[in-house]
Amino acid sequence: MKLSKFFMQSAAAAALFGLALATPSFAQDKFPSKDITFVVQAAAGGASDRTSRAIAAELEKDLGVNVIVENRPGATGTVAFAHVAEQPADGYTIGFGPVEFAIAEHIGYDFNRENYTYLAQVMDSPVVLAVRADSPYNTLEEFLEAAKTEELSVSNSGAASAFAAATFTLSKMTGAKLTGVPFDGGAPAVAAALGGHVDAVTAGAGETATAFADGTLKVLAIFSDKPHPMFEGVKTAKEQGYDLTFGAWGGVYGPAGIPDDVKEILEESIRKAVSSQTFLDAITPAGILPVYRPGDEWKAFVDAEAARYGEMLAQ
Amino acid sequence: MTALLAGIGAVFEPSVLLCLGTGLVVGMLVGMFPGITATMAVALASGFTMTLEPVQGLAVLLTIYVAANFGDRIPSILINTPGTPASIATTFDGYPMAKNGEAGLALIVSALVSAVGILASMVLFASASVPLAQLALKFGPSEMFAVVILAMTIMISISSSSLTKGLLAGVIGLFIATVGRDPITGDARFTFGIRELNSGLDFIAVIIGLFGIAELFDQLLTHRDHKVQPISALGRWWPTRSEYKRIAKPTVISGIVGLIVGVIPGAGGDIAGLLGWDRAKSASKTRETFGKGNIEGVAASDTASSATLGGSLTTTMALGIPGDSVMAVMIGSMIIWGIQPGPSLFVNRPALVVTITTIMVLATLVTLGINLVRMPMMVKLLDMPKHYIWATILVFCIIGTYATTNNLFTVTVMLVFGVIGVILKRCSIPAGPIVLGLILGPLAEANLRRTLLIDGPAGLINKPISAVLLAFAVIAVVTAIATPILARRRQKAATVQSN
Repeated sequence: MKLSKFFMQSAAAAALFGLALATPSFAQDKFPSKDITFVVQAAAGGASDRTSRAIAAELEKDLGVNVIVENRPGATGTVAFAHVAEQPADGYTIGFGPVEFAIAEHIGYDFNRENYTYLAQVMDSPVVLAVRADSPYNTLEEFLEAAKTEELSVSNSGAASAFAAATFTLSKMTGAKLTGVPFDGGAPAVAAALGGHVDAVTAGAGETATAFADGTLKVLAIFSDKPHPMFEGVKTAKEQGYDLTFGAWGGVYGPAGIPDDVKEILEESIRKAVSSQTFLDAITPAGILPVYRPGDEWKAFVDAEAARYGEMLAQ
Repeated sequence: MTALLAGIGAVFEPSVLLCLGTGLVVGMLVGMFPGITATMAVALASGFTMTLEPVQGLAVLLTIYVAANFGDRIPSILINTPGTPASIATTFDGYPMAKNGEAGLALIVSALVSAVGILASMVLFASASVPLAQLALKFGPSEMFAVVILAMTIMISISSSSLTKGLLAGVIGLFIATVGRDPITGDARFTFGIRELNSGLDFIAVIIGLFGIAELFDQLLTHRDHKVQPISALGRWWPTRSEYKRIAKPTVISGIVGLIVGVIPGAGGDIAGLLGWDRAKSASKTRETFGKGNIEGVAASDTASSATLGGSLTTTMALGIPGDSVMAVMIGSMIIWGIQPGPSLFVNRPALVVTITTIMVLATLVTLGINLVRMPMMVKLLDMPKHYIWATILVFCIIGTYATTNNLFTVTVMLVFGVIGVILKRCSIPAGPIVLGLILGPLAEANLRRTLLIDGPAGLINKPISAVLLAFAVIAVVTAIATPILARRRQKAATVQSN
């Protein structure tokens, strides 16, 4: 009895093993049958890298192949974009497409939005405007009103970024005298506001969340359609009468001409990844919101953003 | 008291100690590999530590940070290749010492003073983080500009043989720093249509090229002329009593420099190492042998750059503003674990602050112990024939540099700067000031322009910190110019009198 049970189990194990060996050969012609490379346009450690690694981990689970994250930083991300554009459009090379997709072409980079297949938008990190806790301004209205008589300085994370554009547009729209002061990244920009060296800062939600939670920064407005869970009681710019949204958004793209059946598989897998709890847990602590737009919608959004940034940066 | 015990106790869990061991191995490997930085290692490790308990994760990441800092010094001393910018100043005296057959001594002293630097900075972190962090916030663009200008005056002292050549090198450094995008307007400068140049010349590639690859090429070109030993003659290991006495003063002086620089946001181990070396030199009795293999120089540069670790931890934990690029990654991980760095961390979770301190101290002591024991074994590797060693180093440098961007362009930059380095060497133009210009140029430019944007020219002098620092810089330059002139005049007067 015991022996036969042993044999039965062995046989079952052998059968399973054989099945496992056989599976790949069935799947050979079906996408994906080999490892996928996921190109990130920034160095390891930032918001793009974090989101990409979280997405890659989910795709790996769903598609059953390795998804290898490859960081190719440089030149506002265009080094990575150009690399992806040159890869075969078979779905085995995809990448993270940030808001620079809408900006790069306007600031002198050789970049063409049409060279890509848009798979899906996956995230948005809205821009916030914040001042030091002891600042006299409590609302966006008060801040802009004061800036009509006196020139105010607003730090941001870098020249020609979504954050710099937010200050510029706000100032142009309202006639307030705001001087954008670009820093080398979001953290030093926030530090400059905390130290009182500038009057305000425009930064990503994640970069200001710590200081907001500690009560050392007051967030005057958030430039997004809906309130942000990390900033309780903070009104959006729209709620305060300024219909402006700015965000460091991002999605997944590949080279132009990925076949429709492969595109569908990837889109579906990305959609599942964005709604998964593990993805949420990985990105929300950094102030990033999961936002899903299917490929076509995201492409339309990128085009609209590019037109908007074109106008802003042409000034 | 309970927080103290709980905080220390949390580290001595078997699982946490295991994590500490893992971090140690990764950190030491990373440190020795030229080009692979602690930032890269911590960023990749943070992917795996996400699901760990916070204390376990902190043990891994902080230990990588500490161990990499130790490992960094080894290639600087043995093969003139700084593993990361923080150990640039180590090459000034470390490599000449190794060439003089004192590699063992240099390695041991470097490990000892690195430990002293980290431990001193951790005392500061544990006792005065919150007030120090507030002080750090006082450093805005105008103050940073003043600090950087003051730091630039050390170009004078690191121009070992000829001041003209030193300053020329400094200007070359400042010039190559302008390649890339303008920090304020975002316009391209000197990019010649090459896409990769938009983000500037990769700093790590340039220093590995100027120091390591240049040395390698130099050895290739001269190996037939005379036998340059790759440092197989390691000499003594342990310093003598009189040497301990000699390194005490530079250790204290540069330790203080390192502690101060560490707290200033945006200034890290690279600037501290150079400044510490410079301060120790001007205070030394054996000033003239600095840069030619003076043990005091190794002690000074390594104490100073290691002493910045506690400072960056201070601004990171007490403000939530990353003190350096490793800490930027660390904050990301901490937030995932539900730890909010900032002033409230010290009020709400004192036990965690104690735990962080304990991990740092423990990691430092264990790394020091292992370094002292393994040094002889590791250095045995260099007993291999020279042609194997340098070939291996070349391969390692190429892999390490490639890994920073996954782009062959960066490797090309490294090799081109290797060739430039050899040419400069032949013209006896020092590489130190070039690197200094490269580090400080962008900081000076961006902060000056930010100051001008915010306040106009008045912004430079209407803040007490920047006004005082700029005055110091003026004094430093004036004395540097005046001293030789006055000396010459005095000499002339003396000869006239004697005639």
